Amino acid sequence: MENLDAARLQMAFTLIFHIVFACIGMVMPFFMVVSHYKWLKTRDQIYLTLTKSWQKGVAIFFVTGAVSGTALSFELGLLWPEFMKHAGPIIGMPFSLEGAAFFVEAIALGFYLYGWNKLPEKFHWVTGIIIGLSGVASGILVVAANGWMNSPSGFDYIDGQFLNIDPIQAMLNPAWFTQALHMTLAAFTATGFAVAGIHAYQIYKNRKVALHKKAFKIAITFGAIAAILQPISGDISAKDIAERQPVKLAAMEAHYTTEKNVPLYIGGIVNAEKQEVNYKIELPGMLSFLAFSDFNAEVKGLNDFPEDERPNVAMVHYAFQIMVGIGTLLLFAGILYFVSLKKKHWFNNNKYWLLFIVLAPMGFLALEAGWIVTEVGRQPWIIHKVMRTKDAVTPMPGIVFSFYMYIVVYLALSVAVTWLMLRQIRVLNNSN
Amino acid sequence: MLYVVLFFLMFSLYLYVVLGGADYGAGIVELFSSKENQKITKKTIYRVMGPVWEANHIWIIILIVILWIAFPVYYNIMVVNLHIPLTIVLLGVTLRGVAFVFRHYDAVIDNSQKLYDSLFMISSLITPIFLGMVFGALISGKIEVVEDVTALTFYEAFVQPWCNVFSILVGLFFAALCAFLSSILLIGESDEKNENIYIRKSAIATIVVFTIGLLTFGYGYSNGNVFILDFLKSPFAIVAVIFSAMLLIPLWRTIKKGNKIWSRFFAGLQVFLILLAALISHFPDILITKTGSISLIEDIAPDSVIKVLGISLIIGGTVILPGLFHLLKSFKMIKILERDNNPLI
Repeated sequence: MENLDAARLQMAFTLIFHIVFACIGMVMPFFMVVSHYKWLKTRDQIYLTLTKSWQKGVAIFFVTGAVSGTALSFELGLLWPEFMKHAGPIIGMPFSLEGAAFFVEAIALGFYLYGWNKLPEKFHWVTGIIIGLSGVASGILVVAANGWMNSPSGFDYIDGQFLNIDPIQAMLNPAWFTQALHMTLAAFTATGFAVAGIHAYQIYKNRKVALHKKAFKIAITFGAIAAILQPISGDISAKDIAERQPVKLAAMEAHYTTEKNVPLYIGGIVNAEKQEVNYKIELPGMLSFLAFSDFNAEVKGLNDFPEDERPNVAMVHYAFQIMVGIGTLLLFAGILYFVSLKKKHWFNNNKYWLLFIVLAPMGFLALEAGWIVTEVGRQPWIIHKVMRTKDAVTPMPGIVFSFYMYIVVYLALSVAVTWLMLRQIRVLNNSN
Repeated sequence: MLYVVLFFLMFSLYLYVVLGGADYGAGIVELFSSKENQKITKKTIYRVMGPVWEANHIWIIILIVILWIAFPVYYNIMVVNLHIPLTIVLLGVTLRGVAFVFRHYDAVIDNSQKLYDSLFMISSLITPIFLGMVFGALISGKIEVVEDVTALTFYEAFVQPWCNVFSILVGLFFAALCAFLSSILLIGESDEKNENIYIRKSAIATIVVFTIGLLTFGYGYSNGNVFILDFLKSPFAIVAVIFSAMLLIPLWRTIKKGNKIWSRFFAGLQVFLILLAALISHFPDILITKTGSISLIEDIAPDSVIKVLGISLIIGGTVILPGLFHLLKSFKMIKILERDNNPLI
């Protein structure tokens, strides 16, 4: 395997893991404080048990997120030294603020976990809120740094030199808001459905139904609201990409020739050689409309771009289809949940719970697919139109071995975390 | 503003060495304890480190982020030439953090605890050794900085800088220092009948630190290590080291008197002096290569970057430090209260 491929795979692999840990660590504190709030309000023991059980989850995911994040902060330099040498000073701002937010989160978590019966009740609860807010702030800041790679700004690139650096403008690059909004909603959707699914399974198995129903309701409310809002943010993102990274949009839709009134392809198999998409469903004029709010607008095709500036079309297209497909599915599931609040008898139907069990991993699948769209879609650039990924990679040979090592460690880690969570749930079910 | 950034760089380095060091040291102390004492230590570590250990380890992230933002050229040499030991450090940090959480948060207590414990203890020893080796590599004079690294052999470029006797000695020195810090910390945290365990441990750690320190100097001197030679010529460095050694006297007195605040203060000050001595004799040329030395502050990020970084560090510092202080203080107070109320502790 070539060094560049190994480095890209290692980066992708560690990010895929980190994103899951980070999202759960960022969103679960909100579930926890809602349950905590209900405990303070109602003094219903079930909420206390639930809060304490979720806080263990938060602690475990915070730490796994933190250590995999530490690993990433090193990996950026270890794998992409040329990138960091130039980009480090420019996008350092969101990273240093993220460090601060993360610190606040760690401090608040220390107070929260060890503060039961020791801190004043309200103050203790507020520390929980701070965990959640600083977690979200961390996420937004990191995504802002990624936004800069897609829409580099805050410097002048003259003769291979990065001059007139303005770190604030770099942080507030044109892509930061759309990406951060999309990602925050995605994190809430994915975690909401995942946690709700786990509790749905317990209800399905008829274990501690009263507790798991309360847990399900809290988690799914967050997930459903986020899933319903997500298409709006998706639309903003699509329009933004159409303007700034037309080649990415073209790859997402496997759209080869520049045309007016371009249809939207749903599904389909990409034939890169013949430059066509087979077995797709076509919605006439929809891509033009979604990208530019005009059915007759011209959308640039891949052939308008030099061959060495195009990403892997098939991969980006499939990932995009998966993301949108699941997003739509979760949107309907979210609406279904709110309808079910009026039709309480659905709760007695096991098929209802089965549905949410099946949906549990879907949000994360969509989220990972979305990151594949944005990251693979940016290739061959590491900094859009400024630096190629192959020019950023470390000169140290043999990265493939470090890649294998990461596979072993991270897989072992995820098996261990899953096992730990199962034990947690088992103990929760056996508690009185 | 450069000085603000440098201050925060050194400040986080120092805090990482002291707080993170004591944290690593706890695992090392546990590793070199009898079975029975391991149990006691495990409990004490959880009580002492539990609320603060995540915060302890964020200092290294701050350190890395400051390095890459403000000193990109310096950072670049580190991540390219020291890729291997840094990867091992990362592996250690990951496994150690995970093992710590697993052993304290696993809902079921059974045989898997043994696995968590050994993972925790072993990575607590390996990680600081390799961290120390990274620092050792930077001052070993074995790094070759060239335009095109591919012109060198793999061994010359990526192995020799850190895999040499001098760097390994520095690594062992740092691990011993961690054990020393941790045993001083644990003295004040254990109940009275167990205090002697940690007093004994800190005595052993002191001897080990001293021995490895002498070995490092001896080896560096006889092999013409530029850093050591310059160190010995620098009156400031010598004074700092002697002063640090002399602090052992008040340190032992305060330990005997059971004054844990002062004993920690002296131990922290000793480490500060050692770090100061190491940095002052060669500052700002903290990277010593085969052909000369590279200044930390020469090839830095543009002014606009330094300015914004300095401001955000000041703002971040004013938010974080009081919070951290409060966290440490609150749990200290809680512990003292628990101690008063609970005759068993």
